[in-house]
Amino acid sequence: MDIIELDKVYKSYDGIPVLRGVTLRVPQGIVYGVLGPHGAGKTTLISIMIGFLRPDRGVVRIFGSDNLQQADGHVGYVPERLRYHARYTVREYLWYLGRFSGLSGAVLRQRVNAEIGAFDLTGVADQPMSALSRGMLQRVGLAQALLSEPDLLLIDEPTAGLDPEGQRDIIEMLAAVRQRGPTILMTTHFLDEADLLCDRIGILHGGRIVAEAETHTLHKPASSILITVADLPPATESALTALSPAVQCNRREITLAPNTPELQAQVLRLLLDHGITIFTLAPRRHPIEEFYLETVRGDAKRDGSSDAPPPGLSGTGDTLLRELLRQEEQRTLEGRERNHL
Amino acid sequence: MNALARTFWFAVFTLNEYLRSGRIVVEAVATAVAYYLFFRRWTTPMTPEYFFSTVGLFALGLTVYTGSTILALGDRPYGYVILARRLGRGPYLLGLYLTILAVTWGMYGVICLLVALTNPIRGLGFADWVLGTIPLLLNLALLAAFLTLLTPIVLPAPWRLAVLALVALAFSGSLIGGATLSSLPESVAIALDVVRTVLSTPLLPAFTGFAISVSRDYSGASAVVPVAQLFLVIGLLAFAVYSFAKRELVFSA
Repeated sequence: MDIIELDKVYKSYDGIPVLRGVTLRVPQGIVYGVLGPHGAGKTTLISIMIGFLRPDRGVVRIFGSDNLQQADGHVGYVPERLRYHARYTVREYLWYLGRFSGLSGAVLRQRVNAEIGAFDLTGVADQPMSALSRGMLQRVGLAQALLSEPDLLLIDEPTAGLDPEGQRDIIEMLAAVRQRGPTILMTTHFLDEADLLCDRIGILHGGRIVAEAETHTLHKPASSILITVADLPPATESALTALSPAVQCNRREITLAPNTPELQAQVLRLLLDHGITIFTLAPRRHPIEEFYLETVRGDAKRDGSSDAPPPGLSGTGDTLLRELLRQEEQRTLEGRERNHL
Repeated sequence: MNALARTFWFAVFTLNEYLRSGRIVVEAVATAVAYYLFFRRWTTPMTPEYFFSTVGLFALGLTVYTGSTILALGDRPYGYVILARRLGRGPYLLGLYLTILAVTWGMYGVICLLVALTNPIRGLGFADWVLGTIPLLLNLALLAAFLTLLTPIVLPAPWRLAVLALVALAFSGSLIGGATLSSLPESVAIALDVVRTVLSTPLLPAFTGFAISVSRDYSGASAVVPVAQLFLVIGLLAFAVYSFAKRELVFSA
């Protein structure tokens, strides 16, 4: 059974289209990740699913019904913006939200205590939320969303704005949440996060879901490999480049592109024979990153649009979208400078 | 939990936040100042008419301030998390409305209590006080309902302006009259008079309610005025809830 069904959903703000025919199916029990850069329309998509916004056109069904109010109480929502009623303590806040969800008495107290424990909020449960860090507030966000044990969880950019440690904590907690069994739809622009948490991802580009994939199918042997090592002596560098034109050396980095298992084995054997210390061996591009690039480039070619990522872009996992944005900003700045001159 | 209970708990939640934020100090100080200036024991004894007319005007002013502040509390992104629950938009809006009433009616109660303790009004028994208080409180409820309707989360800007324009037209009698009216072509003057009469009809319960509060005279048709006030409150709130339910939810940043 599909918990979420979107058919050709369109939405624009003041005539500017944001969603241009989003079609999406999320089956029961999976974690679905909507990937896209800032401004792609991810928050708009979630706001439509929860009934805050209405699509200009198209059909939205949650639990098989297009009356989204019927889904109230079965849907948990974690907003991207961490804005909560700061004058309340965590416990009071969860208690009231439980009340609004229809819980009461001993059940309400038990649920509040359970979520406080589950998200490691015991130490701050009686502190006002104004005193909490961003990471703690995000935990409160997850706790409130799960208070009424919803069947569907909508999470908007769960780790946006968190430091790396905070991101890791939230990812671990979300991994625990998925064990509880609700269907989860989350938006993110962090590829690693999508890879770790999602069963299926959809790329939101140009206002549409342009491609979907099961994340496990993307974990094929990487097409290119980056090996970082201690300084390479010139003799080793020569020996490596002599193995194949696919091997490129840069003092502390060796790139295998295209990569084959045989070539990889040869390179590693040579490095070990020469007593070179190997620090890391990783795909030059994250599998999801490759999928994203292929999708976006293909879509841009079909559309003839100019927002395809620049050629030769590389990154390590979750940096790709940020890199795309950085390069876009750079191009804009350069354009402005040219205009100014 | 039914909608009434959810409305009640959201009102408690909002009132609690209002108290904790310290905003209530403004109302408390205003009430203390009003008591000191208008209702403490002076050389001349206070009459019931003086009390109800003065406290009625003060409470209306207080309702405008409190209503604007509390409705602004409801127009924050904090509301997304709350409205994503089973609460529903109707109870959300009515909860804000009840919070306004709790504060303004509460301050009216404080003034009444202070007056009863320090400067009892000669000739005003409990029954007489109730008769004056009912239309007064209903007028406050009416104004709060009107403010709720005009809040940005309920009506979009063009609609708000249209409603305010209609109210202005209804009140235009004091500005466009006499010589101005006679200088207009007869057909325009008649049309304006008709429009004004039609538009000012919904305002009648408010004005007559104020008059009854001061006179406490329920003879004749006056007895139906509180009922008319109540129906007008319900009508305004129903329109506000309907409009809020139909709107896209975009809170102010």
